[in-house]
Amino acid sequence: MTARGKFWKYFLSVAILMALILLPLYASQYTITTFIRIIYFGFLAVSTGFLIGQGGMVSLTQAAFFGIAGYGIGLLGYERGVPFPLADVLSIGIVLVFASIFGLIANRTQKIVFLMITLAFGQVVFAFALQNTTLLHGWAGIRGIRPFVIMGIDFNKTGNFYWAALTLFGLGQYFLWRIVNSPFGLALNGTRENSQRMAALGYPVYWIRVVAFLISAVYAGLGGILATYNTGVITPTTMQLSRTIWVLLMVILGGASYFWGPIVGTVVAVWLDVLVSQVTERYNTVIGIIFVLTVLFSPTGILGILDTLRKGDRLPFLRKILNRKTAPR
Amino acid sequence: MDFKFVILVLNGLTQAAILFVLGSGLTLAFGLMRVVNLSHGAFYMLGGYIGYSVVKATGNWPLALVTGGLSIALLGFVFERTMLSRVRGGDLPETLLTVALSMIIADQALVYWARNPVTLNVPSYLSPPIKLLGLTYPGFRFVMMGVSIVIALSLWLLLYKTKLGAAVRAGVDDRETVSALGVNIPVIYTAVFVLSAFLGGIAGVLGGSYLQLSPGGDAIILIYSLVVIILGGMGSLGGAVISSLILGQVISFGLAYAPQYSYFLIFIPMAIVLSIRPQGLFGRKL
Repeated sequence: MTARGKFWKYFLSVAILMALILLPLYASQYTITTFIRIIYFGFLAVSTGFLIGQGGMVSLTQAAFFGIAGYGIGLLGYERGVPFPLADVLSIGIVLVFASIFGLIANRTQKIVFLMITLAFGQVVFAFALQNTTLLHGWAGIRGIRPFVIMGIDFNKTGNFYWAALTLFGLGQYFLWRIVNSPFGLALNGTRENSQRMAALGYPVYWIRVVAFLISAVYAGLGGILATYNTGVITPTTMQLSRTIWVLLMVILGGASYFWGPIVGTVVAVWLDVLVSQVTERYNTVIGIIFVLTVLFSPTGILGILDTLRKGDRLPFLRKILNRKTAPR
Repeated sequence: MDFKFVILVLNGLTQAAILFVLGSGLTLAFGLMRVVNLSHGAFYMLGGYIGYSVVKATGNWPLALVTGGLSIALLGFVFERTMLSRVRGGDLPETLLTVALSMIIADQALVYWARNPVTLNVPSYLSPPIKLLGLTYPGFRFVMMGVSIVIALSLWLLLYKTKLGAAVRAGVDDRETVSALGVNIPVIYTAVFVLSAFLGGIAGVLGGSYLQLSPGGDAIILIYSLVVIILGGMGSLGGAVISSLILGQVISFGLAYAPQYSYFLIFIPMAIVLSIRPQGLFGRKL
């Protein structure tokens, strides 16, 4: 890497980071709220993208974990009055219990069968939340959930909540980066490429997959907690099929095989949502067509396109930023 | 009490008839092409809506059944030729394309059809009240079961008694060899996908005459069809028959005795079978 390239890389990274941190100081309330949406959907997209990109596992249960964590906050934190860190930790605990059950069963299969079974599991949770009126209040869900006030800092203020969410997301990305580049991450890549060879080499392929599934569930759960605090509402629609599909689109749109792909996809999809909704009611048709075009013409997503341009040497500074390809295909 | 039991069993059989037509299409496409067509629910819904419009305009139910089936078959043909065949062999892109198609169909259906649930009108000559064991049951339900049985038999004949069927079954086992033997695999793929879409459309007209068609209903139908083929074993016609029969009864009795959990209950047989036999009742290990 040349000195000039290095400079541009750091310059751009720092500029983006500063812009994100200082956002509440210069942006409108609406923009901040949209960025909070990007962060919690980002967690969901990252959890889905991690499994697809690193493990080759297309799981459609992630939105359910997102919802389960939200229901945990609603049931424990709001209805039972469990205090702040405990309710959140317990919610993630509940997510892990569900993820263990689903993960132990679903990982007995692979690829397309895994996809179908995880889809069915996601819908089990949705169906239960939809039809259970005694505990989860059916369609209506749980309403009126508010963020907390700790040490004098009121997280009901959008700016404060944004900073908390951004910090959590930053930490989450850092840990994921460590996981992806750890021996475990490499073993997971190995099972994606050739699970039989990995098994022959003595790797516990099944357990590697289960652990990856659990890690991804935690990320989805964190997103769900943030979303529930932010919107104040948790309903079954959070977990419905169209949500799951939308997340899948975000991941593919950004580029599933890139570390930053799911996040890029989320940013684009959430803003697209905002823009398209202003113009037409047929939002899903537009999104569907974009989905088709992405799959047909650019299966590696936006980052894939940029990567091609990078190799074509037309965008020297983007090339440096995009060097962080973690899962070559 | 006894009457209620018989009625519930009959309702379950009617439900099973729809589930079989729905699931057989999906399992057929999966068995050969390894494509999980996630737009199958949307095919069902669109077929049902088209049938609804035909019945509304002409009052001719059999015509609606044929039109619903054929228009979805045409849609399947165009989709397979222009899109699916371009990404052949990639599990994920194929599945994603069908997901995208289902999104577009479901959204477009909102433009052309009512947002409130609709049901197809069945002419009275097709639905004479039939007396059975001292109780009356709408004859149309038996017509549905009849249609389903005819479809099951034709599929069996097609798969096990014709050259095309032999090629399809061989293709399931070993695509390359069959292709090397001079069988035109792409043509067979298209034919199977079109047949699968046709069955989806037919199921929509049948289901729309018994249950309701509503926006967003495609997701539930998709899940039903997925559970049918996961339970029965993917790619197995016999498995689809057995699992439809089981699920039909589960749905019928669930609605009667635990309406709060009727939707949730269908997953229980699936979870049990999966934890014992991940490949489903009659499936082969993939």
